[in-house]
Amino acid sequence: MGCSSSLPDRSSGRSTGLNNADNSEGPDAKNLRVKLVLLGDSGVGKSCIVLRFVRGQFDPTSKVTVGASFLSQTIALQDSTTVKFEIWDTAGQERYAALAPLYYRGAGVAVIVYDITSPESFTKAQYWVKELQKHGSPGIVMALVGNKADLLEKREVAVQDGVDYAEKNGMFFIETSAKTADNINQLFEEIAKRLPRPSPS
Amino acid sequence: METTHSFHPFDSFLDRMRNPASLDLVRSIKSFIVSFSFNAPNPENDAKRIQDFFQSMEAAIRDHPLWEGSSDAEIDNALEGLEKYVMTKLHSRTFASSAEDVKMDAEISDKICLLQTFLRPQHLDIPSVLQNEASWLLAEKELKRINAFKSPREKLLCIINCCRVINNLLLKASISEDHVLGGADDFLPVLIFVTIKANPPQLHSNLKFIQLYRKQSNLVSEAAYFLTNLVSAKSFIVDLNAKSLTIEESEFEASMQAARLVNRVPQETLTTFDKMSTFRKITDPGPSTPMHIKAKTNLNGELNYPYMEAEAGELTVGDVEKLLSLYKDVVTKYTSLCSTVRHLSFSKTVSPAPQGNDDDLMRQTNGRTYKDTSCQED
Ligand SMILES: Nc1nc2c(ncn2[C@@H]2O[C@H](COP(=O)(O)OP(=O)(O)O)[C@@H](O)[C@H]2O)c(=O)[nH]1
Ligand SMILES: [Mg+2]
Repeated sequence: MGCSSSLPDRSSGRSTGLNNADNSEGPDAKNLRVKLVLLGDSGVGKSCIVLRFVRGQFDPTSKVTVGASFLSQTIALQDSTTVKFEIWDTAGQERYAALAPLYYRGAGVAVIVYDITSPESFTKAQYWVKELQKHGSPGIVMALVGNKADLLEKREVAVQDGVDYAEKNGMFFIETSAKTADNINQLFEEIAKRLPRPSPS
Repeated sequence: METTHSFHPFDSFLDRMRNPASLDLVRSIKSFIVSFSFNAPNPENDAKRIQDFFQSMEAAIRDHPLWEGSSDAEIDNALEGLEKYVMTKLHSRTFASSAEDVKMDAEISDKICLLQTFLRPQHLDIPSVLQNEASWLLAEKELKRINAFKSPREKLLCIINCCRVINNLLLKASISEDHVLGGADDFLPVLIFVTIKANPPQLHSNLKFIQLYRKQSNLVSEAAYFLTNLVSAKSFIVDLNAKSLTIEESEFEASMQAARLVNRVPQETLTTFDKMSTFRKITDPGPSTPMHIKAKTNLNGELNYPYMEAEAGELTVGDVEKLLSLYKDVVTKYTSLCSTVRHLSFSKTVSPAPQGNDDDLMRQTNGRTYKDTSCQED
């Protein structure tokens, strides 16, 4: 279907969380694979962030054939490790909120997105943080993302509010703009750096 | 990622297993399968043992002289063949084997039958550009095939194919209709609707079977994502109430009630018929009944309401109770029907899909599958 950038990946290991060298044929310390789940209100820009990250594009209406809800992208870090992100989109409509645990179960990373012009979306983000603290996999890496940072004149959530909340909850925080591509790659690079590495055996 | 049903790892697996050099592998596979006959089914425990076996066999096959110098793809074929062989042999033990699972399957299927009578895409806010009858039918067809296969991989492929059809539809819509790509926001509602239209057989048991017995190393990435979405659709359907939909609570309740009445008719018909022994001679008038009377009453009406052809003079005081209860029954049904019809009048309804035929087809296919797998029998 030409949308997913995921290729046959015969050599990869187990399904959940951070996949590392727990079997001899699987990814090793140099090649990590991680399930990343996206959470946040509809409209905050989750799809655009992923599109920007995976394809370097912003406009969700642009005529690209890109997979809608599951995408994967590999990045190389400076220490020559690679991280393959398998990005799981979740339906943001309220009626599906109860289904979220099915998606974040076994995720190694949760990216929780809000829109800096919408205090409600910030409240919703906090709801997700609490829920993940209670029910997410232990050791899950969480990132709080304030998106649409380009809409400065419409800002309703102060940077400091995001910083403070993230700090209190031991999460990584960043403001991004999927529109200008600001901080999009940084977001994923910072997450990659924070992933637990398999201890060399 | 596997893309089609046409990939046949199984034949090459059986070929290798017929080679005398594989006798050691054949022995361990057979003794593993036999070992299950000593204790009662226990899904979690069975799953753990089977997954461990797949892993140890993977190592054994990689080190085996028969597979020396084989590519990863060839090893994988062998492992897929192994999964299919083992799971086909253990199918009756591992698939829908508990009373609970059977009950779950029936409850979900019954609920879907009710929903099919009135649910429309608008109830899930599915935009009209995504309402493509042809794509939906294709996606449904993939899901309905799920019982045509016994191996977890093939069952999972039905789900993957269904999801791909939906994904293609979303992509097409975003390209040609300028529909903004909605990701999971679009994907999940369409999958839920397609699942309800399809009412795939033994939905709960199939999902559980794949989750427990699909080789874990292959239950990753997109395949795992699609499976999770169907699990999620199932869960949504199980918990579905008026609040899950864009619908008035009263309309939802009335529609469900009307659907229950309609779906219950065949059963009631039989019990009503049995109880009406006094009027058996009227309801079963025999060959002498004039044709025009038969033509006027349809079969259901005739059996359900046995007084239809009675003459006032034939009735006794003893009939009053039955007449009154039938009267109440008719009024209740009529009222529900009216309110449903009022709500449905302007919209297209989803017609309940016939389920029966598929089953026969499945049994045939399964029979064939079974024969394949017994090639190795001595
Ligand atoms: N100005 C601005 N708009 C954005 C940004 N990211 C997304 N949008 C817009 O927000 C809307 C919703 O984005 P989408 O990615 O579909 O949100 P999702 O529902 O969370 O996936 C779209 O109209 C986007 O064009 C951003 O960084 N800046
Ligand atoms: Mg989205």
